Amino acid sequence: MTTSHAKAEPAGLEDGGKGSATPLSTAPEASEKPLPSLPSATAVQKAGTLSRTAWIAMAFCLLVCTYMLYQHSVAAERDPWKSPQLLALKEKLRVAPADEALRSEIRRLDLEFRERYFRRLALNVTGGWLLVAGVGALLLAAKAATRLTQPRPRPQRRTDAQSLALQAATRARWSVAGVGGAIGTGLLALAFTSQSPLPDPAGELNQALAGSQSNASDLPSLAEFQANWPRFRGLAGGGATSGDAGLNFDVTAGGNVVWKSSVPALGFNSPVVWSNRVFLSGGDAKQREVMCFDAGDGKLLWQRAVANVPGSPAVPPEIPDATGYAASTMATDGRRAFGLFANGDLAAFKFDGALAWAKNIGVPKNMYGHASSLAIWPGKLVVQMDQDEGAPGGSKLLAFDCATGRLLWDRTKPTHGSWASPIIIEAAGRLQIITLALPFVMSSSLADGNELWRAELMEGEITPSPIFAAGLVMAINPASKLFALRPDGAGDVTKSHLAWTVEESLPDITSPVSNGDLVFTVTTGGLLTCFDAKDGKMVWQKDLELEVQSSPAIVGHRLLVLNTKGEVVWVEAGREFKELSRAKMDDKFHASPAIANGHVYLRGATNLWCLGGKK
Amino acid sequence: MLATLALLTFSSLAEPRFPPPDFSETNHQLPITTTPAARAEWLQYLDVAVLAGCLGVAVWLIHKHRSRRGVFWLSLCSLAYFGFWRKGCICAIGAPQNIILGLCEAGYTVPLTVIAFFALPLIVALFAGRAFCAGVCPHGALQDLLIIKPLKVPAWLEHALGILPFIFLGFGLAFAATGTGFPICRYDPIVPIFRLNGPGLLIALAALTLLLGMFVGRPYCRFLCPYGALLKLAALASKWRVRVTPDVCTQCQLCANACPFGAMREPSPGTIAPKLLTPERRRLGWLVLLVPALIVGGAWLGGRLAVPVSRLNPTVELAERYLAQQKSPVNYGVMTPETLALQRAEHDPEALLKSAADLQQRFRRACLAFGGWVGLVLGVKLVSLSLRTLRTDFEPDRGACFACARCFRSCPQELVRIGQLPASELPSSASIATPVKA
Repeated sequence: MTTSHAKAEPAGLEDGGKGSATPLSTAPEASEKPLPSLPSATAVQKAGTLSRTAWIAMAFCLLVCTYMLYQHSVAAERDPWKSPQLLALKEKLRVAPADEALRSEIRRLDLEFRERYFRRLALNVTGGWLLVAGVGALLLAAKAATRLTQPRPRPQRRTDAQSLALQAATRARWSVAGVGGAIGTGLLALAFTSQSPLPDPAGELNQALAGSQSNASDLPSLAEFQANWPRFRGLAGGGATSGDAGLNFDVTAGGNVVWKSSVPALGFNSPVVWSNRVFLSGGDAKQREVMCFDAGDGKLLWQRAVANVPGSPAVPPEIPDATGYAASTMATDGRRAFGLFANGDLAAFKFDGALAWAKNIGVPKNMYGHASSLAIWPGKLVVQMDQDEGAPGGSKLLAFDCATGRLLWDRTKPTHGSWASPIIIEAAGRLQIITLALPFVMSSSLADGNELWRAELMEGEITPSPIFAAGLVMAINPASKLFALRPDGAGDVTKSHLAWTVEESLPDITSPVSNGDLVFTVTTGGLLTCFDAKDGKMVWQKDLELEVQSSPAIVGHRLLVLNTKGEVVWVEAGREFKELSRAKMDDKFHASPAIANGHVYLRGATNLWCLGGKK
Repeated sequence: MLATLALLTFSSLAEPRFPPPDFSETNHQLPITTTPAARAEWLQYLDVAVLAGCLGVAVWLIHKHRSRRGVFWLSLCSLAYFGFWRKGCICAIGAPQNIILGLCEAGYTVPLTVIAFFALPLIVALFAGRAFCAGVCPHGALQDLLIIKPLKVPAWLEHALGILPFIFLGFGLAFAATGTGFPICRYDPIVPIFRLNGPGLLIALAALTLLLGMFVGRPYCRFLCPYGALLKLAALASKWRVRVTPDVCTQCQLCANACPFGAMREPSPGTIAPKLLTPERRRLGWLVLLVPALIVGGAWLGGRLAVPVSRLNPTVELAERYLAQQKSPVNYGVMTPETLALQRAEHDPEALLKSAADLQQRFRRACLAFGGWVGLVLGVKLVSLSLRTLRTDFEPDRGACFACARCFRSCPQELVRIGQLPASELPSSASIATPVKA
């Protein structure tokens, strides 16, 4: 019977019409013929063979899967980015950067891992197709076996269809309600366990935005900035201060040293002073740090390392000893002190020594690395980053939010390497940042960093910083020219706004200083020259016979010159040369003086000095 | 939905990517990265032409030729073309997301090919049922091939799981409307099979779907496919429905046994007893009243979901990290991609926060709509389960039937009609005429 029925069977379905279909005779009460409910012995035998084939195919698939999973599990160890072996070797290289054998081993392993990675990718593809083939074989065999062994369906008439239908509908309703409830509960839990720091944009976004900016009311006023010494050579960057009420030095009596404090870290940067705090930075290739001293008694209040800054190069750049890793003078906004180091780390510390923020701004590709000092204005910290090498347009001027360290703007400059420090001036109704770099004197807007004007007047290695005095921007073209520019121009002002130029023996390291009437320069060899600020004519010149690397400062009517051998020379800042005093101190001075609180702060090679005197 | 949210958080398990090696010491010049040329435009039209052709052939095979064999070979061809050659993309299943994004975002233009892939199967479904699912969709074709020994899913479970595609559709559309991404495509468990590649978790899901598909007919199509939900709605109103036999139904139940997808519906069990009618009607009334309540409740709940769901958007996540960092002390450690992203974001936090706040508002609206949609789906499903359908014969459910044509030749009437069974084998007219009694 089975055979005859098999002949009469219509085409199957999922097998493309070639398999068996249910014979009509299986329908109860539809036929009086016997029911072929069980498969034949031949079919069972065939089914057995097919089942074995299916099992073999399944075993094959499992084998391929296992191998692919194994490859995937070991992939992390061989990933050049994560491999513990490679990371350990790289760590060793940090300790011994000159170890060529180690480098070769790292390169070999790196190449090997990368090759393995691509082999694994190829293997994945091959494994995928093997799996497709295996699953295909499994399906074919299993389907055929199932078809052969599947008993014929024998549907039964139901006598209680109505109650079953009602029952089924009830169950279905409850199950739908159950699924709905489960989804609702899950979503409810999700909704009430999640909170966002993002405010409702309608009402509170502005508040949040304000919170992310510097709190303006918290910032000291401009007058406070001016009263302190918040950056290299004071807020204006000119190195001059009018108040000298407390400075009546009597060097011969030796009673002018208020205190002297040992500086624990090396650095050529100058002190910055705010109220009762004096800040210095220092360090070397291994560690960079910021130090805070009590301005009253010179006590080291705290010393903080700048480490683990995101983006900081694992291997510090090679920097000449003459520059060091802390050449840039710090800046302070009265709430935080900012330090920039040769490896590009820029860090802000609160006055209590807590880190406010830190980031790495990169290492400039120039001979001395970061040597320009930081410039500051209420709310804004400005970094000049000029470089010689690398892609064109690598020189940049950047401004950061003092409170958060957020980059406010970032402008490329068409200039090459420079080690002069920028100054910020208020002139022609604009807040301008004046920078010197080969080949331009440039003015940029403090608001957005956009260029205001430029003059092509710079040559050589630019180290002396510009000053702003008598309404003119004055700058030194190292060792050849001192010139003055009117800062009210736009575009190229090389010819149109040049007020005067003088060619004399001029410094190549130190910056000029002016009291508004006269301009003083001192060369490395100690040649002190006085110029008229209005027209640049030389007023007098005197060889002090000093080796000078620190920029001179003006304190009231006196000019202060320091030399590298520890001599402190006071000269009358007038139209006639008059040396007021000269004293030898037990230190070497490369940094420039800071004047605040009626005292002069000097950084020597080993000590921080506070000088002052009685009225 | 919850599973999708969980999946979205595991995106970091994707295949590792290498950073470029540091060759600064050896001055080795890294080769310039090149990208393969874009696919030729005419091939897009070829895709549409193949789709249209396949749909036409499928309709002819199902309604005119009534050939399971034909549908089988057509689905194989579709699997090869749309599945393994086109690697599951372009695909009608994800197309609704493009459409909704095109409607919600002025700057996004929906490609004509996508519109065609979205519209053609739906138009066909309005006339001829789910011909797309039968032999054109590569997802369906693959699952169809997998069936070894299909188990019958209990009706209550079938109904309960049957609402999931609608909910997934709502989530996919709501998410896509915010411009954040296309979760229906991104977390498709079948596509990794076509590509023989994918994130580990998705590959595991694909394996699970394959395994499940051997014993449950088309699990993805029945219980997850969001486009299937749309096709189901369209097929409910189709002009020509799939019929087991064009002749008289003998009510032998063989067709119900032949359908591996539980899409065959039995004849109505006669008239309901009058004493049961009142509570049935009362329940129906309550359920109808419950629908708006579910919509409102769902919308309320959806609105509350905006915060966690919006966090899946990278901009919102970045803004939240930014704000969190503003409040907490700086703790720099090893650099992570998030730290780097945060640094980049510092270029303009104001714009970032505004953008994130706008996005969260978009998410709020989208989640509100999604919650309301979930409520509507639940309510309508509950109401539909309380309605009685008058049916005298065994016939495929218009919405649930994939038009695979398996049932055709299980029917003795059909066998007689095509000459594969002598008419004498048929039951007597008396037995045919006798309805199944409750």
